[in-house]
Amino acid sequence: MSTPKILDPPPTTLAQPPLPPVTRKVRKGRQSWRRAFRRDWQLYSLALLPLVFFVVFRYLPMIGNVIAFRRFRPGGSIFGEYWVGLRYVKMFLSDPTFWDVFTNTLILGGLTLLVCFPLPIVLALLLNEVRTRYLKRFVQSVSYLPHFLSIVIVAGMIMQMLSVDGVVNQLVNALGGEPSAFLQKPEWFRTIYVSSEAWQTVGWGTILYLAALTTIDQDLYEAARIDGANRWRQTWHVTLPGIRPTMMTLLILNIGTFMAVGFEKILLIYNPLTYETADVISTYVYRVGIVSGNLSYAAAIGLFESVIGLVLVLSANFISRRTVGTSLW
Amino acid sequence: MVTLDALRRPTRRKPGIRPTRGYRAFQVVNAIVLTGVVVVTLYPFINIVARSMSDQASIISGEVNLLPKGFNVTSYEHVMSDSMFWRNYRNTVYYTFVATSVALILTTTYAYVLSKKHLKGRTFLVAVAVFTMFFNGGLIPNYVLVTSLGLKNSVWAIALPNAISVFNLLVMKAFFESLPTDLEEAAAVDGLSTYGILLRIVLPLSKAIVATMVLFYAVSFWNSWFSAFLYMDRQELFPVTVYLRNLIAGSTGAEFAGAIAETDEAQVDATIKSVTIVLTTLPILTVYPFIQRYFVSGIMLGAVKG
Amino acid sequence: MFLRSRRRAVAAAASALALTLGLTACGDDSDPAEELSANRAGAMESYNVGDQFKATEPISFSMLYNNHPNYPLKNDWLFWQELTKRTNVTLEPSAVPLSDYEQKRSVLISAGDAPLIIPKTYHPQENAFVSSGAILPVSDYIDLMPNFKDKIAKWNMAPEINGLRQSDGKFYLLPGLHEKPWQDYSLVVRTDILQELGLQTPKTWDEVYTMLKAMKARYPDLYPFTDRYSQPKPTANLWNILGSSYGAPGGWGFNHATWDAAAGKYFYTAASPQWKAWVEYLNKLVSEKLLDPESFTQTDDQARSKLATGKSFVITGNAQALVNDYRPDLSKNPAAKLVKIPLPVGPAGEVNPAPRTENGVMISSKAKDNKNFVAMMQFIDWLFYSDSGQEFARWGIEGTTFTRDASGKPQLADDVNVIGLHPNAPKHLQKDFGFYNGIFAYGGKPELVQSFFSPEEQEYQAVVGARQPAPWVAPPPAPFTDEEREQATLWETTLRDYVDQQTLRFILGQRPLSEWDAYVNELKSKNMDQYMELQQKAYDRYKKEHG
Repeated sequence: MSTPKILDPPPTTLAQPPLPPVTRKVRKGRQSWRRAFRRDWQLYSLALLPLVFFVVFRYLPMIGNVIAFRRFRPGGSIFGEYWVGLRYVKMFLSDPTFWDVFTNTLILGGLTLLVCFPLPIVLALLLNEVRTRYLKRFVQSVSYLPHFLSIVIVAGMIMQMLSVDGVVNQLVNALGGEPSAFLQKPEWFRTIYVSSEAWQTVGWGTILYLAALTTIDQDLYEAARIDGANRWRQTWHVTLPGIRPTMMTLLILNIGTFMAVGFEKILLIYNPLTYETADVISTYVYRVGIVSGNLSYAAAIGLFESVIGLVLVLSANFISRRTVGTSLW
Repeated sequence: MVTLDALRRPTRRKPGIRPTRGYRAFQVVNAIVLTGVVVVTLYPFINIVARSMSDQASIISGEVNLLPKGFNVTSYEHVMSDSMFWRNYRNTVYYTFVATSVALILTTTYAYVLSKKHLKGRTFLVAVAVFTMFFNGGLIPNYVLVTSLGLKNSVWAIALPNAISVFNLLVMKAFFESLPTDLEEAAAVDGLSTYGILLRIVLPLSKAIVATMVLFYAVSFWNSWFSAFLYMDRQELFPVTVYLRNLIAGSTGAEFAGAIAETDEAQVDATIKSVTIVLTTLPILTVYPFIQRYFVSGIMLGAVKG
Repeated sequence: MFLRSRRRAVAAAASALALTLGLTACGDDSDPAEELSANRAGAMESYNVGDQFKATEPISFSMLYNNHPNYPLKNDWLFWQELTKRTNVTLEPSAVPLSDYEQKRSVLISAGDAPLIIPKTYHPQENAFVSSGAILPVSDYIDLMPNFKDKIAKWNMAPEINGLRQSDGKFYLLPGLHEKPWQDYSLVVRTDILQELGLQTPKTWDEVYTMLKAMKARYPDLYPFTDRYSQPKPTANLWNILGSSYGAPGGWGFNHATWDAAAGKYFYTAASPQWKAWVEYLNKLVSEKLLDPESFTQTDDQARSKLATGKSFVITGNAQALVNDYRPDLSKNPAAKLVKIPLPVGPAGEVNPAPRTENGVMISSKAKDNKNFVAMMQFIDWLFYSDSGQEFARWGIEGTTFTRDASGKPQLADDVNVIGLHPNAPKHLQKDFGFYNGIFAYGGKPELVQSFFSPEEQEYQAVVGARQPAPWVAPPPAPFTDEEREQATLWETTLRDYVDQQTLRFILGQRPLSEWDAYVNELKSKNMDQYMELQQKAYDRYKKEHG
């Protein structure tokens, strides 16, 4: 890392020199803010720029969410024209289509989480067992490729492969099955979406685990071997606990964001025949809110989604902290 | 980004005891599984490369599979002779470099602060970040903000609003927390300031995660198009992704009441699309094997030991 | 049948007349235009039909620019230079990729950051921006636009213009104007297969069915008809042209409410017997394996590939698709002959379903405070609506990009290419000169609109152009108020989704047509009746308030 200049403490902080670091031992109990500042002002100063970033670029625009409760007209005031109370909230709560797409979102997000969370771990562990360095590197390199492809291309490929004379149906044919138009069948949509999602994300997802794997102390393996543990037990007792913090952090984050299923991809591969299973909140909001300029309605649903996401991540974090001791904060 | 002294050879894993039969069988199965992964992932990619070197008629008649048909590179010449393509390409490199640097500095410093469990107000600082994962301001307030800060048509419109990804932040924080604290404590006893500890002790131990972050941020900035699309008014300022998106998505999704204007109908050649995809994806693919060495290195281990 | 459509046409003519009177009655009062003494900088003192507009001083206007990937914007285009030379106006384009043009336009207008001139807007896209006052009610200022007024009067376009009016009686969009409706899309057929089977070119949809039957009999293993334009809505073009022939257009031409001129009221398009009739027709094609069921979901490339490899013989498309896509795709098969056949006729009779208005220009209301406002309106009037402006935008400069033949008709210069007319020419009219640009060149007299057409396309247009304009393309105004529109868009989304879904299921045979009545009831449970009530209310209110 370069540019240490930015890290200089701002002149306004306390003039007192830092206490000797020996006192750094955490002392539970009531500490006054003054003492905390005196001791850790350098740390606080490091947090200053990021905090400015969050306030300016994240919290300031959030005021715009007020249009969920005010009537917004495109081109009028960006904070809306007048108060309408919970009108837009009532609007979507009483909209049967909303509940359909809500259910679809939960199912699709849940399935994606179920499949796409564990697969990278498995792949990372498999890669970790490869002894030939070049082979390992090659497999890694290849498995990252799908991450770089534009969704538009991926969607095009999905359609090509699933068409009646596409690769998949050729296989079905060879196995004596009846070819079918998978993309027109609502019962197939979830499988198609989740597997394409897995194809795209699994390789890329291994990166974090591979990075975490490098932090595991080799001596632990040594010790396990001396205890007579075979590879399988080493993996179970050393490797997995070693990457557990990473796993838990990712799991919590994934749970928190699983409502945000891939909008663009769904938009490109769904069709009216599969709306029944494919239509999710974001695509619905896009059709009803964005296309026709009904941004207040979109904002109300967006807030609703946010609250759910926040609740999910809080509960996941709570459970994780209670059971395995890993927490986001 | 990553300091050069880190280019030491990664320490090799210690030779283990003789593998058992079961483990050898596993190795074979493993190799087969991984080969399967390679084949499945590679197929569409080879297909794109093949398409980029084929003629249009063969692509449309569905003849192009793994090998180019009607081999020619005229489409490459065509795309590469477009000065706007190169201009946008340069923009992408520049934007990616600046934005990644900014993001790395802010994310590292904040993650480091958050990783200090004893810090008073730490929970609040984490909450400030996590909250923004779920609540955001929506398109128009963001646009108004960037415009009124005067960032439009500059690299800062891309770099600043996306400087911290909370996801990356928390991953990095988790990594810092898992570092052994004895080295830091020792350095503190030696009278090193917090900044010194971060720069000279923590970061050298964290090459794996820094490399990962460089890759994550660089890839996301390289591939991003929306901020540029929103905040850039002149095509000389566009990154190549906007150029690419216009080629690929330009002719889809048209739905108007009545007729589509006659001049807008023509489609872009499938070959041109493929060429542009190959050319935009290539550099990041060639860069990252160099970053990758840090993932598999045992540098951390060596540092703690000695 | 014949009698009914005759009566309908008469009624349409009568209501059109009434509306023309209404137009003059409600006056487009010139009051706002007279208060413009502070905004006349650069404007011409006297500017009339036939005049060349030239600003009295150099001025410039900001403009949103829809950047087409096929001819990306270049600042050194001859178009810009010559435009400035002729009019003293410099346009400052803000380039937006075509792929996401609508989104950026919406953000810019909403954030109050929009350029003055906002082109490429398709009615009713402007509706969303009306209530906030961000867009200029251009109807207040058309006295500044002599060519626009002249064309509307000369070509009898008052009914079309009235259709653009909002609940305040004003319109906010300057649409492209065609003297004659121009139906570009139709069926493209392999005529060599027709010859092989000894068939004539089909004239009606029934004959299309017979033709497909014959093709299937000879080639039982393939689907003779496959179609494209299924992203994002299923076969949006086929549903439009077929639906139009039955009097209930779907797809690209879909409107929830269609005007029934004979009954003098609106009906819900997708619950009408006409809609059911064409759904039955398509269902027949699918169940007899004449129409590829994948048509409704496949990508354009997939459809083209089937045509190219001889897996099918019929597809829909327009002149451009024929020349640029299908023929090159099939070039490997020299025996193959493709022709765009005149739009087959259906129960609605020989109608031309194309509207005479098309995409147009919105103007930011900020423009009104600009000191060059009057000059700007004159400029827009000249460039988009005068004969010389339209010719300039389409053909370019005489002696450089085109020449005139003995009769004065423009001919493309030999070293210039456009839509494959001079394939080996070194320069391209769009890419290298910036003319024939979708933003500036559209509409006009038939001679102009068709001037690039090949002889075969002119022949096609002669047939289709002779047909009567469809009675529903210029419905009477029934604009929603702001609050109504908010409610209506919610209902519309749900209804539209359901219509698309169930129509497709009927066509594919996933739902028997005997359940049609159940389907109509389901639409009712999705607020169809309330929607139509709202529509009728809006129609009555407008009629009462604005004549």
